[in-house]
Amino acid sequence: MTTMESTRAATKSPIVEKRKRRDWTNGLLNVWGVLMYLFLFAPIFVIIAFSFNTGRLLTSWNGFGFEGYEAFFNNPNAQRAVWVSVQAGFMAALIATVLGTMAGIALARRPGKWVGIFLALVAVVLVTPEIVDAVGLLPWYVRLGEDWNLVAFGNGLVRLVISHAIFATAVVALIVRARLAGLDEALEESAADLYAPPFRRFTQITLPLVMPAVLAGALLSFTLSLDNTIISSFVSTPGYTPWPVYVFSSLRSALRPEIASVSTLMFALTLVAIGLVALVLRRGGDSSGDIAKTMTGT
Amino acid sequence: MAWPAGLFFIAFFLIPVAVIVVISFGYKPDIFSTYALGNWSFDNYRTAFDPVYAPTLTNTLRVALIGTFICLIIALPFSYWLAVRVNPRWRGLLLGLVLVPFWTNFLVRTIGWQLIISPNGFASDFMQNVGLIDQPLELLYTRGAVQLGVVYNYLPLMILPLFVAFDRLDPAMREASKDLGANRFKTFTQVSLPLAMPGIVAGMLLVFIPLMGDYITAEVLGGAKGNMLGQLVAVWFGSGQNWPVGSATAVLLMALILLTVGVFGALGLILRSILRARRRVEIVVKESA
Repeated sequence: MTTMESTRAATKSPIVEKRKRRDWTNGLLNVWGVLMYLFLFAPIFVIIAFSFNTGRLLTSWNGFGFEGYEAFFNNPNAQRAVWVSVQAGFMAALIATVLGTMAGIALARRPGKWVGIFLALVAVVLVTPEIVDAVGLLPWYVRLGEDWNLVAFGNGLVRLVISHAIFATAVVALIVRARLAGLDEALEESAADLYAPPFRRFTQITLPLVMPAVLAGALLSFTLSLDNTIISSFVSTPGYTPWPVYVFSSLRSALRPEIASVSTLMFALTLVAIGLVALVLRRGGDSSGDIAKTMTGT
Repeated sequence: MAWPAGLFFIAFFLIPVAVIVVISFGYKPDIFSTYALGNWSFDNYRTAFDPVYAPTLTNTLRVALIGTFICLIIALPFSYWLAVRVNPRWRGLLLGLVLVPFWTNFLVRTIGWQLIISPNGFASDFMQNVGLIDQPLELLYTRGAVQLGVVYNYLPLMILPLFVAFDRLDPAMREASKDLGANRFKTFTQVSLPLAMPGIVAGMLLVFIPLMGDYITAEVLGGAKGNMLGQLVAVWFGSGQNWPVGSATAVLLMALILLTVGVFGALGLILRSILRARRRVEIVVKESA
């Protein structure tokens, strides 16, 4: 302690000098940071602003009003598209969370040769461009549904759920594995030593431990599903048009203000959902940094 | 416990992709059917490789490479700032804010940019008022607009792995470098940057690969000029109703991605070994002195 103080005293002036220079680069980086947030948020602010456009077309500003919101509540097609998206999102998130959590726990707790193979498969799923998945799934669903008479695969909602769950399952598996890899296996072992049967050990020790990762994974799966445009536009069937595909097709005819209004509503709902998950995670004792890291899967 | 997920991947990922490869060697029998198996040949690849589509191929590669590079350049200082310089109290919140764009639809965000950069949008008005330009902004439906859109859409995928890489970096490493007399610039280029290399590689892959297959951004912001390979695949499967050629184009797209990643990976390894060899000499000299 004393040596540190003495060195600090001895080299006081260079440190002050360094502070000043650090401030200078800090200032530059701060400006860069602010610019980046402006860049990242610019289109979102614009969409929110244009959701109050009273014009017939989204792209030309007419005046302030709630016509866009009214139009949505008078447009059954748009409502149906949002509803299909929400349904597909919930079901895809459910499937991805269950399958991904199981896989993630196994990856972290059952080491073996298969782990490498499985991770390679996950990596391939994650890096395959969406368009390749899309064109692969389309003939496959047609074959399953029409040629092999598995009627379920002709259903647009089933197709959307499965297609969205593939990528999400891989993501959830990685997040859960990362969370569990950072936790001591002794916790589960001591439960076993205290005569907890395997099932209780799983529900009372392992599952609560990975819960933050599971919640984050579920939320991420849901938003990935809501976001998916390319695969959806290939596999969706008439009557089950999800919201992004609805927007994409109206891009070719005419963009109406209600597209911005619905997006704003959905954005607000997602923010509430994220807030709730963050709240649950905070109750679990994570710091805000940990929460952000869990939610980003890092 | 991993087998349900494994089976799921096999049934709805590996098999469909394999189906694509099989169809790419098939043929289109008549105008009413999309594909048929049999008559195995490379004809579809010949069509996919037709010089007519060469500009699309080079355009895709150019947009993806430039996009990845710009993302890297603008995300590097930002991620470094976020992971190292920002007050840890605010770090979680600021990291979360980076993700907020993800919670609005990809397509809607791109439409947001369309509104911003359109000739009568407010970027144009603002720049005219300030006097930067004296005519309405002509950016929409150009390659520049597509470039802007892809950088925007894939930027968070670059920021996150870079953040993780800088976050894991032990501050003692930087301090040691400074104690040994390196200045700020040298510390960053010779200590922080090499240690963050895995994150940089991950970020580049995460941006480059989906970007190669993206065509939505190009369609919203690029109009007819923003031809991408993904768009070509979509057209062959959609209005073209020729799945064998579409499949061949999809396989071509994947091959192009693997080839580019392979070439740049090899270049990176060579560069690294050269740099390491040069640095090693310096250290040996100092030790002997």
